[in-house]
Amino acid sequence: MAAPTETVRLSFIGRLVLPSFAEFADKRAAKLDLKLAVRSAGDERFTVDVSGQPDLIDAFEMACSLGPLDCLVLDCDRTEIHGVSNGEDKR
Amino acid sequence: MMTTGVWHPIALSVSIEPGSSAGTHVGGRELVVWRDNSGVAHVWEDRCPHRGMKLSFGFVRGDHIACLYHGWQYDTAGQCRYIPAHPDLKVPRSITVATYRTAEASGMIWAAIESAESAAPALPEDAGEVVPIRSVYVDVGADALLAAIEATPPRPFGGTERSVAAKLQRVGAKLHSLAAGADTLLLGLQSLSDNRTALHVVVAGPASSYVDKGQAHFLAWTAELRHRLDAQSAGSNHITEAA
Repeated sequence: MAAPTETVRLSFIGRLVLPSFAEFADKRAAKLDLKLAVRSAGDERFTVDVSGQPDLIDAFEMACSLGPLDCLVLDCDRTEIHGVSNGEDKR
Repeated sequence: MMTTGVWHPIALSVSIEPGSSAGTHVGGRELVVWRDNSGVAHVWEDRCPHRGMKLSFGFVRGDHIACLYHGWQYDTAGQCRYIPAHPDLKVPRSITVATYRTAEASGMIWAAIESAESAAPALPEDAGEVVPIRSVYVDVGADALLAAIEATPPRPFGGTERSVAAKLQRVGAKLHSLAAGADTLLLGLQSLSDNRTALHVVVAGPASSYVDKGQAHFLAWTAELRHRLDAQSAGSNHITEAA
């Protein structure tokens, strides 16, 4: 049986060094087997849509909230885009 | 230090019992050597991908090794299979530990520490029946250790050829044989770092010839060797400090 998945939009807000934060997010997403789509990227706000298993999305949010050494994340907005499904493609 | 394309002796086989693990080094690289409950030995990078804890501090559970820190469990291929904090999670295939090819021969566990593109090295030929003596850890490089062995070889234990000079011979990149009378010791040299070496010693032959008295005979030689090298090392440190 396929693992349950969901998609959420995460916005990390703070003082970000963009290349460093983007690379950090990319590597964490790959490690956690998450799909990542960057929606906007700036020095104060970095927004991504993340798809995958809910527990792994939580782990991604926690990791990026700590972030790389040269970035300071002050807040994170989280919006659900697609709720938890059983992983089957419903098209 | 060059560690590419070579089988490195990691431990004496008897030192790693089923269901146990230990930490070690090759060329400064941190390794865990562990044996699953079915008796198969494994040599991996000594680092849990979760928080970097040494897996050598962990526990063997059947054919898994579990990290001491958060209990993440890895199968014999290095793939994470279970995360206790998320028991229902289907663990991604991307969460893996770096593993090295591992084999056992001549009473020692060997690991091929190599880059992906390098050619597969040949495992040193198995010597057949051997009796383990011990592993000795000394604060000198491999060349200095070999020189010390050649200068002060063991007296033979068995046979009658007591006056024949001992002969040290290289039989593999990290394996030497030392003939002393009728006895042949096999010496696996594990370069822990540039100036620290582990010497894994076995004697070739049947258990009936060497268990107990033969082992004690060669054990005493390894102890003398280590004390001599320790004294040399302390002497050179003293000179360095005085300078």
